[in-house]
Amino acid sequence: MKRQSKPKVAFFDFTDCEGCQLQFANMGTALLELTELIEIVNFREIMSEAGEDYDIAIVEGSITTDNDIARIKAIREKAKILVALGACAATGGINGIKNRSSLDLAKQRVYGDKAGQINTIKVMPLDAVVKVDYYILNCPAYIPEIIAVLKAMLLGKPYPLPNYPVCAECKMNENVCRYEKDQECMGPVTRGGCNSWCINKGNRCYGCRGLVDNPAVDAAKDILQKYGLKTEDILNSFTLYNDSQGAKYDQEFK
Amino acid sequence: MKYAILKKSDLNHWLKHLKDRAKLYAVRKKENLFVFRPVKEVQDVCLDYIPTILPPKKYYFPQKEKLIKFSVQPFKTAKAIDKFEDFILFGVHTCDIAGMQCMDVVFREVPEDPNYLNRKDKMTIIGIECLKYCDQYANCTSMGNHVPRGGYDLMMVDLGDKLIIHINSEKGEKLVTGLDYIKEATQGQMDLLESTREEKKKIFKEEFTGPLTKVYDTFDKSFVSSVWKDVGRKCVACGNCTAVCPTCYCFDTQDELDLSLNEGIRYRIWNSCQMDDFAKVAGREDFRKGRDNRQKHRYYRKFKYPVDKFNRYFCTGCGRCTRACMAEISLVETVNSLLREEKK
Repeated sequence: MKRQSKPKVAFFDFTDCEGCQLQFANMGTALLELTELIEIVNFREIMSEAGEDYDIAIVEGSITTDNDIARIKAIREKAKILVALGACAATGGINGIKNRSSLDLAKQRVYGDKAGQINTIKVMPLDAVVKVDYYILNCPAYIPEIIAVLKAMLLGKPYPLPNYPVCAECKMNENVCRYEKDQECMGPVTRGGCNSWCINKGNRCYGCRGLVDNPAVDAAKDILQKYGLKTEDILNSFTLYNDSQGAKYDQEFK
Repeated sequence: MKYAILKKSDLNHWLKHLKDRAKLYAVRKKENLFVFRPVKEVQDVCLDYIPTILPPKKYYFPQKEKLIKFSVQPFKTAKAIDKFEDFILFGVHTCDIAGMQCMDVVFREVPEDPNYLNRKDKMTIIGIECLKYCDQYANCTSMGNHVPRGGYDLMMVDLGDKLIIHINSEKGEKLVTGLDYIKEATQGQMDLLESTREEKKKIFKEEFTGPLTKVYDTFDKSFVSSVWKDVGRKCVACGNCTAVCPTCYCFDTQDELDLSLNEGIRYRIWNSCQMDDFAKVAGREDFRKGRDNRQKHRYYRKFKYPVDKFNRYFCTGCGRCTRACMAEISLVETVNSLLREEKK
């Protein structure tokens, strides 16, 4: 499809490891193909220029300070389309562990006697502050999903997040089930779409993509208990990446 | 020739011969389980195995299958695959052959499914009859699939140091003739096959507490039953049971454009009634809410609906759904619970 002008894309990051942008940079030839469709004007991992004129903002990281709130709002104002890139931006990600204890305690643990000087707030995914148009999940982002979301975006179509668990893809890949090997795995309650990336490589699922819309919590709890996990560990497994849904399980598991 | 004899010491010769004739798929070990894979080294081929993680349906109904190629401007469609290659499935259990017969009934129903037939027509099936139970999960005897019931080209039975091979098709016959190490079976070997099967009858016992006709009647009356509530409460909705089932054939179709945003491929991808969104339609109505209803549906698609429609049970007795269920939902126990409830 011939395009009159290519949309300008800028990358921004908040609280994160910048690993998802690295995934983007590591895309290989697909990145070159993408530059036929988009013009990258700001991406500090791959270029020195930092254009402030953009149509699409691809944002990594979660919101953890008052300054972050002001900054993401300003980005949102400028961008026609805002994409949350990676678990931290999309669901709060692993940063959400901070919310599992009181803010004071969290500050104390990390900054000790300097805790008083630190301005930090509850960890939030981007959509707790601004409207997000597209979500790219995973920790780090999964390259085929990055491409799929960008294609949908460029076609002006929605990208509905899969609402099936990781197991669906894992079985299609004919992996030996982690439970078969007496390992715990968050696959049954975690949103699919990663093509069971970790399990294919011999690891287990940690739930980095967030939970499916309607996780079978009771059944999952039964299973994890059967494999020797205590209630507290199960809660930790559920909330390692998913503090945003944590409050719900606090009630159910305690 | 109706029955042929192959010494086990010549099995690898024969496998090499088969490998030269067509793409050869057979079972090999994967960690503590088994999978069908293309044969690289003939010595890796297993004949003594518990049912593979996925049934061989992945070769005639692939997980993600190209249907057509298309372009948007100018609008054009074309075949996604021009040529399908001949392939042999080696060492298929009788339960999985029953699964193929079920798929055949479904995909050959008018209008026939060309995507399935393209592959199926290129397939040669060499079966192996089990002489002992694979494990405690199978219910092949109740389903009548513990013994060969057609649907194959060749069927092997283990006679100790030899394999006796039933030749069931011309295609099969061509694979055993003209080889000096495969001979016609003698009367003595036929008698040994007979006595082996007699011995087998002592091992294989019906797993359901009632005959299949009774099971069917029970399903007719069990649409409302506490059994489904119990099953639904245990179910974690992972979809393992349907993915590993040799007779589940539901799929979704998806169009994927490449980065030209003009050319793409239409795929069909396995889908499952156990997924939360499976029965949702526009307007967000959900025709099958709840994991209990979805599990019930799976069972009815094995023991009731296909019997009404195709006069065939769609459970093969392979036991995969039970084996793959981390929540330990057992098909045999579920059916027996329904039978028990019926009696009350």
